[in-house]
Amino acid sequence: MDAGPVAEMSGGRPVGVAIVDDHPVVVEGVRAWLASEPRLTVLATGDDPDEVLRAAPEADVVLLDLRLHGQMALGKLAELSTAGRRVVVYSEHTDPETMLAVLDAGAVAFLAKHEGREHCVATVLAAASDRPYVPPALAGAMVGDPRPDRPVLSDKEREALLLWFQSMSKASVARRMRISEHTVKQYVDRARIKYTRAGRPAATKAALLARAIEDGLIRPEEIGIYRSQARYDRPTP
Amino acid sequence: MSAELDAAAVRVDAARARSTSGVRPAPVTGAPVWTAPGPRTPEAAAAGRAAAAVARASDRGARIAAIVIALAWHSVIGLPAVLANRSELAAPGVVLAAWVVVAAVGVLTGARLLRGDPLPAWPLAGLLLAVDATVFAAAGERQLFTAANWVWSTLGWFFVLALWGRRVTGLLALLAAHSLIALVAVVGHGQTAPADLARFAMYVYGTYSLPVAAFAGSAVIAALARERAATAAATHAMAAERDAAERARRERRERLALVSGAAEAVLAELADGRADPADPRVQRRAVLAAAQLRRLIAESDDVPDPLLHELRAATDVAERNGLPIELVIIGKPPPLPVRTRRLLVDPLTAALAEAGGWARLTVVSGPDEVVVSLVTPDRGEPDATGPPGGGGVAEDDGGRVDRLDERDGEIRWTQARWRR
Repeated sequence: MDAGPVAEMSGGRPVGVAIVDDHPVVVEGVRAWLASEPRLTVLATGDDPDEVLRAAPEADVVLLDLRLHGQMALGKLAELSTAGRRVVVYSEHTDPETMLAVLDAGAVAFLAKHEGREHCVATVLAAASDRPYVPPALAGAMVGDPRPDRPVLSDKEREALLLWFQSMSKASVARRMRISEHTVKQYVDRARIKYTRAGRPAATKAALLARAIEDGLIRPEEIGIYRSQARYDRPTP
Repeated sequence: MSAELDAAAVRVDAARARSTSGVRPAPVTGAPVWTAPGPRTPEAAAAGRAAAAVARASDRGARIAAIVIALAWHSVIGLPAVLANRSELAAPGVVLAAWVVVAAVGVLTGARLLRGDPLPAWPLAGLLLAVDATVFAAAGERQLFTAANWVWSTLGWFFVLALWGRRVTGLLALLAAHSLIALVAVVGHGQTAPADLARFAMYVYGTYSLPVAAFAGSAVIAALARERAATAAATHAMAAERDAAERARRERRERLALVSGAAEAVLAELADGRADPADPRVQRRAVLAAAQLRRLIAESDDVPDPLLHELRAATDVAERNGLPIELVIIGKPPPLPVRTRRLLVDPLTAALAEAGGWARLTVVSGPDEVVVSLVTPDRGEPDATGPPGGGGVAEDDGGRVDRLDERDGEIRWTQARWRR
């Protein structure tokens, strides 16, 4: 993963992660995954988001299990995102509706629990620098998004998402599309950035968009899409 | 990679839980895709309707003729006679009023007959008989046998109109009542001379013959037409049924040929000892044959999502052979004809039979596109059986199917994509 931007963002110190899950065995498993990456450090764990964040207010990224004590924590997710917390949701609920609802609520990323260590580490690192990371399961949900008001993706963006979802290998997608791996990632990330206009505005979405513009991933004139959506969300007089 | 392989088993369980949550009906071997119409009732009803329509059409001419005869006779012969002999009638006002009543009845029944509306036959018959008796009484003895006593000749035709489409016995009964009223009038007016009685008999014959002939004739023609139409409809229904049965038989034979093609060769070689069960290539062919058989069986199941059902049938066989498969389904496929489904599923079935290690099967569906993809590790082996058709494009009625089968040293990627 790109070490530069992360180091630049957190001033050389490792990214602080808080894990919220109600299954101790999962917490331990995720902690072990993240421990293999020196740029990450787990600051606090627990089954209550508020308690965990009281224990580690400086956490850069919150890994949140979507289902806590039998309840879907979508409301809590929206609250944290509005407050500017970078939340990576991870869940065994991989139906497309749930994944898209999680993006709408302001999560920086969605990770399916079966997607494994590599995607988990990559997602958390990207989230810490307000950069998108789209694991294959999320790509599938985006490419199959049936909602009439879904973001308009270009053919290339859609194809890259589809092939990434199918193959789980950016190298294979690059070979298939006859483009570089870097361009594949750009297409996928651009599609993800377009999703920042879906649902309610949140500080995390604004941060993702701002960083995408800074990185040149999306052109400044394309911000209009986001602004018009925000205006639409405002109550009409 | 090894960590992922360890996780693969867990993944498959989750995938299986997702993929088999739907109800899977017991497979029915050799059930026809097309089912012949069982009960004959809808066809018979349709034939009956067709026959009735033909009968109605051929009956229409006879109705018009009867209405024209009745009304023309009533107005061209009856009315002038009444008007010319007004002074001679015992109660001309009553006779005239009765004429108007019958004319009104004629127009009403005529209109309803032409529109095909039902008639209140027996109330109308009662009314006509009452008019009959009234006119006989009101005509008086001098005009009893003249044209001014118009009921003699005309009323029979109105009986025909009132009883149209019913049995001829009803008409005969009405005419008998009419004759009886006339006889009572003849006797009541004291006209009992042999010549009068002879005239009575002649009049009775005259009033009977034509209406009865017309009525019975039209009934016979309508019955014949109905019978002919029913015969023709039954013939058509039988031909359609024969065609359908023939089509079902042809489809069954095609499927049987497919099934035989799938398993026959490898089974024969195994039986002859030409193929070695320990040979991995023979094993792969056997797996492919089993998967194809399983899919052909699944094809005839009546399930809400046939494409997914057939894909699951293909994965079942591979899973039973110990291959961990992740099946991810996004969206609901639109209804696709069996040929398109075969184009989508066949390449994946073939690739699955050769897969080793793990497999990821994905289905992404939208209203105008279905993409099925199978990714397995590229083991770099030469094709043992090869996917049917490999890559390429196939057109079908509602769209086109693009197929790709690629190896890049890392993965083997088989994709079939239908676009409307």
